[in-house]
Amino acid sequence: MHIAEGYLPPLHAAAWTVVAAPFVVHGARAVVKQVREDPDTKLLLGAAGAFAFVLSALKIPSVTGSSSHPTGTGLGAILFRPPVMALLGTIVLVFQALLIAHGGITTLGANAFSMAIVGPWVAYAVFVLVRRLGGGLSVGVFLAASLADLATYSTTSVQLALAYPDATSGVLGSVVKFGTIFSVTQIPLAVCEGLLTVLIVRLLVKVSPDELRRLGVLRRPATTSAPQEV
Amino acid sequence: MPGLDTLAHTNPWRRRHPGEKALLALGLVGAAVALPPWPGALLVGLAASAILLGPLRLRPRQVVRAVRAPMAFVVVGSVPLLVAVGGDPLVRWAPEGLGAALALAGRATAALLCLVLFAASTPLADALPRLERLGVPPAVTEVAALVYRLLFLLLATAGTVREAQAGRLGFRTWRTTYRCVAGQAAAIFLGSFDRARRLEQGLALRGYTGSLRVQVDDRPLSVPFLVASAALVTAVVAAALVLA
Repeated sequence: MHIAEGYLPPLHAAAWTVVAAPFVVHGARAVVKQVREDPDTKLLLGAAGAFAFVLSALKIPSVTGSSSHPTGTGLGAILFRPPVMALLGTIVLVFQALLIAHGGITTLGANAFSMAIVGPWVAYAVFVLVRRLGGGLSVGVFLAASLADLATYSTTSVQLALAYPDATSGVLGSVVKFGTIFSVTQIPLAVCEGLLTVLIVRLLVKVSPDELRRLGVLRRPATTSAPQEV
Repeated sequence: MPGLDTLAHTNPWRRRHPGEKALLALGLVGAAVALPPWPGALLVGLAASAILLGPLRLRPRQVVRAVRAPMAFVVVGSVPLLVAVGGDPLVRWAPEGLGAALALAGRATAALLCLVLFAASTPLADALPRLERLGVPPAVTEVAALVYRLLFLLLATAGTVREAQAGRLGFRTWRTTYRCVAGQAAAIFLGSFDRARRLEQGLALRGYTGSLRVQVDDRPLSVPFLVASAALVTAVVAAALVLA
């Protein structure tokens, strides 16, 4: 769920844009450099962006009986790295605003900060940490995707709380209010997204190990074939 | 498929320069956000609705469909303003927050209608190449244009895969549903990278130099439209400040 157009007061909208801008500009510079060195990267990045958009449009069943959409930030960060995701995520957010009116132009900075910056960085940090500690690919992917989903929505809750502090208990009380609605209810959905992402990565390891190796997700060949008898 | 994109390609302002529509819609968004919600949000909302239903010839049902999902966020996001945390009792209803909640919902609704005004009148394919003139690097606009062109194909692929899975009773239980959704995501991943590879090969055969520049229609900015847009935004701002 993105912060809707016009929801944030002007000062907050501008401040979040300023906070998100360096990350997005850094991502854009990384992309420009990458494209200059290898023009074919542009096509892969276009494919990655379109994949991120469609991934967030998939419906996953949730415990309440309704359906929800994955944020896709965890999988995106594992596959394409956080700096690239800062740019791709922002492009996807612009498209979501202009194609389905989710999010907005004035709230783009705030949404980019939670979905294209905090989410991917949390996912990547968790994934790398789990792998370094000797955790399996599935454990790393599950924790990365679930925690990225939770981190994204917790950031959104804090952004909303800062904009609309509680009259009695201030920002802290407001974090509790918005957090209850947007983060606590998100916990089962974060677990669902984690499980789904594990299933997706397992499938990709099976059917597309070359692409995963090209993206740097898999270092060694996924399956070692037995020596053939001659 | 996103209905707003279809509207953007078929509406009467389709051939207008995106800059004209951006001035009008983003000017109204700015007014909605910056003006005091009462009467600013009401005036902006009325102006945006009048344009959507008048010159853009959208049916009320189409506008409702476009704003339905984001309005859920606006409604849910306004509820915390009706609750107070802290004091005695710890959590209680706060009817005094009703004014603030209504003002917030009103402002967000008005701004949302302005966003729909731009989205329903301007195809992204028109707007993206022109972003270069605003200083966005060509590599970024070209990646964005590729995303735009690929995502419709991928959405169609995901829909087809879903239908095929449903035909094979893939959504019977939670377990099978999750397996199917993961299958959709994997199919899209493979499809997107396969398309990128085929594009690579096709472009290489045509002497790809690294530039994906497309021809952009030379559309002059209409001065009367720009003046009318600025006048409307100014009138809304003036009226809101006088009535406030």
